[in-house]
Amino acid sequence: MEERPCAVLLKFPGTNCDGETARALETVGFVTEVVQISELTPEKLVGVRLVVLSGGFSYGDYVMAGRLARLVTEQKVGETLKEFRDNGGYLLGICNGFQILTQLDLLPAGSLVENTSGRFQCQWVTLKNRAPQSPFLSQLPESFEFPIAHAEGRLVTREAGEAAGYVASGAAALTYATDVNGSFEQIAGLQDETGRVFGLMPHPERFLRQEDHYDPDWSSGKDGGETHGSGYYLFRSLYDSVTSTSE
Amino acid sequence: MREFFEISDRFIEAADANELLYEPLGSGVTTRRTRRYEVEFEGGKTALDAFIRKTLFDEISQDFSEGDEAALEGFSFVVEYGMKPGALDLEKEAILTYYRGITDPGFELKDLKIRQRLYVFDAEAKDSDRFIRDICNGAIHNWNVIQGS
Repeated sequence: MEERPCAVLLKFPGTNCDGETARALETVGFVTEVVQISELTPEKLVGVRLVVLSGGFSYGDYVMAGRLARLVTEQKVGETLKEFRDNGGYLLGICNGFQILTQLDLLPAGSLVENTSGRFQCQWVTLKNRAPQSPFLSQLPESFEFPIAHAEGRLVTREAGEAAGYVASGAAALTYATDVNGSFEQIAGLQDETGRVFGLMPHPERFLRQEDHYDPDWSSGKDGGETHGSGYYLFRSLYDSVTSTSE
Repeated sequence: MREFFEISDRFIEAADANELLYEPLGSGVTTRRTRRYEVEFEGGKTALDAFIRKTLFDEISQDFSEGDEAALEGFSFVVEYGMKPGALDLEKEAILTYYRGITDPGFELKDLKIRQRLYVFDAEAKDSDRFIRDICNGAIHNWNVIQGS
């Protein structure tokens, strides 16, 4: 019998998307364990192929989104997540998880700050897949929709040219089709040099099924009467990449 | 010893002040927010600075200033407010919890006060009452107003 790969979903005080993210991971085939940050040890990641940081408001977004989660993670397990990546592990950060990954320096330098609208934005957005070879995006089309829900999702860099560099190099794996929140170069998601660390502001776990879409007639366009939403294909891409590479 | 730090967002521009008020004040009045930390401590100042920068400041998106002077210029007035002594300040508690987990921080944090500074531009001095009425909550906040020069 085929052995299912293990994923750990890290939970901080204030994380609130762990349930649906765990469901998404289980749906595509991962064995998923939700681990509270207070219980994380390097040993917990032995045999694990994927670490996921899901959405929410870790530590109430105090100081700035993701800051305290980073400090506590470093205090608790030091460089463990970087070692996990260096040993071939995959890391996915969704929304607040993306903010935490940027804070942990696991993604290209950037900060996620308040939207230019000054408001919490909850809406569907159209995204451009700029890295079709990415382990996270390989089964997604050139353009697709995901929902967003954030107040601090505007990606900024020290200099605007840095963000343009991310687009040119492919680090900006995902961009918004329009200016949604003031992100430099309309960046919605970043990947690291290995391609195994990916963070995005939109919520793929909220669009697992066709009926999650606001349009009842929406279809993925895939043959065979598929009932999956676009988010499913992100997790499915990841599962296929993880299972096709040896530990 | 006591130190003051003020942190402002580099990429967030002045916003229309009317968004904060129940009744519009008129056009042209804008606001910006910063956060001011008052730290009482004993021990190494260098270690304290390192803690503050690592914990409370983001190099990419923020500007950092030290001392009691206002970090921004050209304002009409500043409404500075924070939690009353004894009111539960969850942000402060989260920072203190992190501090208590540090082995040998190199200084002792005796007290921390977090204050929001709302800089108001192109308004009249008397308008500060309107901002206090609509933003501050007398049950949990105390506040003061700094008039511009």
